[in-house]
Amino acid sequence: MTELLPEFTLLQPGSIDEAIAMYADRDATREAIRYVAGGTDLLVNMRRGIGDPETLISLNGVADLTAVTENSDGSATLGAGVTLAVLIEHSTIMDRYPAVAHAAREIAGPGHRESGTVGGNLCLDTRCVFYNQSLWWRQSNDYCLKYKGDICHVAPKGDFCHAAFSGDLAPVFLVLGVEIEIVGPEGTRRIPLLELYTGDGMDHLTLKPGELLTAVHLPAEPLPALYEKHRVRGAIDFPLAGVAVALSGENGKVETLTIAVTGTNTNPFLVEDLDGFAGSSLDEDDQTRLAEIVQKQVSPMKTTLVQPYGRRRIAGAMARRLAVRLLETA
Amino acid sequence: MNERQDPKTLKASPAGTPTPLIDGPEKTTGQAQYSADFYSPDTLTGVIYRSPYAHAEITELDVSEANALEGVVAIVTGDDCSQTFGILPIARNEYPMARGRIRYFGEPVAAIAAVDEKTARKALSLIKMTVKELPAYFTLKDAMAPDAILIHDDKAGNIEREVHNEFGDVEDGFEQADLVREATFKCAEICQTHMEPHASLAEWDDERQHLTIRTCTQVPYYVHLMLAHTMEIERNQIRVIKPFVGGGFGTRTETLNFEIIAGLLARAAKGKVALHLNREETFLTSRTRPYTEITMKIGMTKDGKLTATQCHALQLGGAYAGYGIVTILYAGALLQGIYDIPAVKYDGIRVNANVPPSGAMRGHGTVNSRHAFECLLDEMAKELGLDPVEVRRRNLLIAPTETMSGIKITSYGLDECIDKVETESGWKKKAGKLGPGRGIGFACSQYISGAAKPVNWTGEPHAVVNLKLDFDGSITALTGAADIGQGSSTIVAQSVAEVCGLDINKIRVITNDSAITPKDNGSYSSRVTMMVGNATIDAASRLRDMLVVAASEKLDASPQDIEIVNEMFRVSGGQDEGLPFQEVVEAALVDTGTITVKGTFTCPPEFQGGKHRGGAVGSTMGFSYSAQAVEVSVDPDTGQVTVHDVWVAHDCGFAINPLAVEGQIQGSVWMGMGQALSEETRYHKNGMPMFTNMLDYRVPSIIESPPIHTYIVESIDPNGPFGAKEAGECSLSSFIPALVNAVEDATGLRYTELPVTPDRLVEALAKKQHRDKVAAARKASEGATS
Repeated sequence: MTELLPEFTLLQPGSIDEAIAMYADRDATREAIRYVAGGTDLLVNMRRGIGDPETLISLNGVADLTAVTENSDGSATLGAGVTLAVLIEHSTIMDRYPAVAHAAREIAGPGHRESGTVGGNLCLDTRCVFYNQSLWWRQSNDYCLKYKGDICHVAPKGDFCHAAFSGDLAPVFLVLGVEIEIVGPEGTRRIPLLELYTGDGMDHLTLKPGELLTAVHLPAEPLPALYEKHRVRGAIDFPLAGVAVALSGENGKVETLTIAVTGTNTNPFLVEDLDGFAGSSLDEDDQTRLAEIVQKQVSPMKTTLVQPYGRRRIAGAMARRLAVRLLETA
Repeated sequence: MNERQDPKTLKASPAGTPTPLIDGPEKTTGQAQYSADFYSPDTLTGVIYRSPYAHAEITELDVSEANALEGVVAIVTGDDCSQTFGILPIARNEYPMARGRIRYFGEPVAAIAAVDEKTARKALSLIKMTVKELPAYFTLKDAMAPDAILIHDDKAGNIEREVHNEFGDVEDGFEQADLVREATFKCAEICQTHMEPHASLAEWDDERQHLTIRTCTQVPYYVHLMLAHTMEIERNQIRVIKPFVGGGFGTRTETLNFEIIAGLLARAAKGKVALHLNREETFLTSRTRPYTEITMKIGMTKDGKLTATQCHALQLGGAYAGYGIVTILYAGALLQGIYDIPAVKYDGIRVNANVPPSGAMRGHGTVNSRHAFECLLDEMAKELGLDPVEVRRRNLLIAPTETMSGIKITSYGLDECIDKVETESGWKKKAGKLGPGRGIGFACSQYISGAAKPVNWTGEPHAVVNLKLDFDGSITALTGAADIGQGSSTIVAQSVAEVCGLDINKIRVITNDSAITPKDNGSYSSRVTMMVGNATIDAASRLRDMLVVAASEKLDASPQDIEIVNEMFRVSGGQDEGLPFQEVVEAALVDTGTITVKGTFTCPPEFQGGKHRGGAVGSTMGFSYSAQAVEVSVDPDTGQVTVHDVWVAHDCGFAINPLAVEGQIQGSVWMGMGQALSEETRYHKNGMPMFTNMLDYRVPSIIESPPIHTYIVESIDPNGPFGAKEAGECSLSSFIPALVNAVEDATGLRYTELPVTPDRLVEALAKKQHRDKVAAARKASEGATS
């Protein structure tokens, strides 16, 4: 049988302000009170005894979160509550940010995408084969560092949680240079997406208690970008490595090159040391160098049943070929 | 309904007509009731307390606190059942709940029945167990190490069973060969992953001391036997009902621990207990296809004639015997019966280890051996510069014949299967010419149409079918054959309709209630069409004879002159319209009332295998055959294998229901694709299963499902009902080697491990690239110095 959900109080605010106020009223720690939108991540974990919040604040009735807005300056704003299914088929996204639509289509299965949201995918809990297991299983294994335990079974000698960030949208947003909007008890702030992530698998978001990711601001003039997701199956699976590349070029030479990766580290991140590719025509040597740079910066661990060696190599290869494809059409 | 009355449809012979499964409407409308769907307010919830250790002695088990919790009605432990269970009477070494010793992580230790799930789960957390942990083994090497402690005291070296046999002179065969090659293949353990998780509803009538159980089994008869045995009650105190079942694929051939636990809990609670396992528990109770290492050796002449083969198989059997003795026998038994090989040697060892017991899975025991053979054959053909398809063609058998191991082959359509697939796939234009990065592979396989000798030897017929004809003119077929989705009930209906000259709508099939239906040996080893089909024909022929006699008396003719056309009984060659079926029924019932007839089928002794030890395994009334070509591309960057097309021809003797045959072939291909590409179990270093969910155990998704071109080959077997043989297992085995051979065609890489996952392949391709580079450099430097 499917495990029972623990008991909780469900609150259903009608606006962002009301949601923030409800959180503040309860004055609770993040363990005891959680926002929930699609629930495809949170509720599955709760059924497995991960988290036992007394209160869930449902964002499904907050209309402000579900708009896709084209702004007068040519930029676009995505509400955090826009579902992945909407994202895939929205004309603005398909026409102007096709890599975003593509990445959304690569997430889970159709059923999940009907419920899952942009905000949920960006905030997705980090994942690990020692963590995403039943309560009985984790109990029998003395839990793990990420939740209720003392050691990380992936790297038992360290005191760092290696659970991998596995959202598909983040790398595309990173190479497009999006900013996100966060609303909390102390007001609204707007930050580059990269700053949402701490880099710690255990506590992976920089959101403060009560804060809510409300919107994603897409740039007016996005660079051409592509996303490729590596996984064993063509559906359902989380990324074993997901690579987004944005590239501008002229006359067969690179002007700017940005690469971001998901699924291999505790956070989605921008690959460094790519400045040297300006002016490159990505000949064979440069392609090899590019793949090697990516390979060096990804650090897949044994957080899945798929071995790190292949994931590292594949991440490099995907970055290389996406860059080549973008340069060919630049 | 109008469609049914179309004379053209009526005229069509029921046997051989594509027929939607007769239990389809319930399934597609959601009305079908599975074992977990029965509920009444007095139903208690059962849960199982499972071991958090892989190997341990229980020093104390304290359930008192759990028992004291309000709402807990009963708790049972190993103390409540002192009888071992197991499918093989000679190898019952497993208790439904551990007694003293725990041998795998997740093994049941106790079970609770409570008023609701919340209470039951709370009670679980109150059970206290202390143990003395023992060294545990999860690999062949560790379990077989000289200093390993024994998992079962009576199994030295942790070896459950060894099999050694040789037919013909293998050494001589290899001497006759121009090329002898040997290779080792490692095949991961895989699970059946049927859609329906395990569930039982057990009801104990304390007044009458009687148990009724509804459970998701392939063989209700075994459940009946095992419940009587373990609960130490008479068989007549038990009623077993098999409701709709959502797949089995071998797991549910054996009686499983949860079914016995449900019975014990219901008796202890003096009531009704629903025991629904979740997916994790269902995986733990899988009776998997075991992890297998196979070393295969083949001898071949330069013309591609096989001279000898030798197979050494090691299976990681798991913590208990289960079906394993049969599994290790099967891994060798079906080396024969497909090609003409003068000498065959087999050495098989099933090893005990601290993982859940393995057992029967679609293609029971034979799949990995076939994989190794077909891959090595492919490699050797290419080494000799021969077409791998042609090599197979040069080694065909001619039916009727008999294997060296004493199994009769009465029909053989492999030649036609090979021809069909070779032509339809465009093999000659494609093989070796699609690459790099794209390739095509080919392989063949065979399977039995039912094990000719039943596991429980009773001397009874192997199948019994009852038919009841009553005043309403409908025929009710009563059978214990378990339809688990494969369409066996439809075969019964079609067979009766065919023999009696009736529309299939006149036939109702009632199955699997031990209070109503005759005993059947169950749905395993692809036996049902062959055995129950023949028993049905026997019963229907008797009924038809009675109807014909009644009609002949009314028509004042002799019985041999009566023919049945469009449900009319008439005098052959006459002008009269004849009697409609209903009138004949009324005539037949005069003086006798309701008619009940019985049909039976028994495999004759000469089909029950050779005289050597284990010779019954592999014996059958008819082998099915399959040939398959698979076209793939391989992404060199990611190691991703994409299956573009599959061509598969299956000799099923005669397709009684071509629609179901096609579905079974597609299902076999699809399941083979899972084993080939993505499915595998994995255990942590402490024996914890890492894979027991649908994210980490990667069954292919519909996106991976390729176009499957199926071709039905009909060799008309003399033993089969209307000539039919097996259709549901054989084409699984040929997919896997065909895929791996296609990967070789695409990349030049002979990959010897399963599954061929991207991470494995990308690593192997990188190593190959390095090897090739080194070899090229060496060649260049040799060229420069010479």
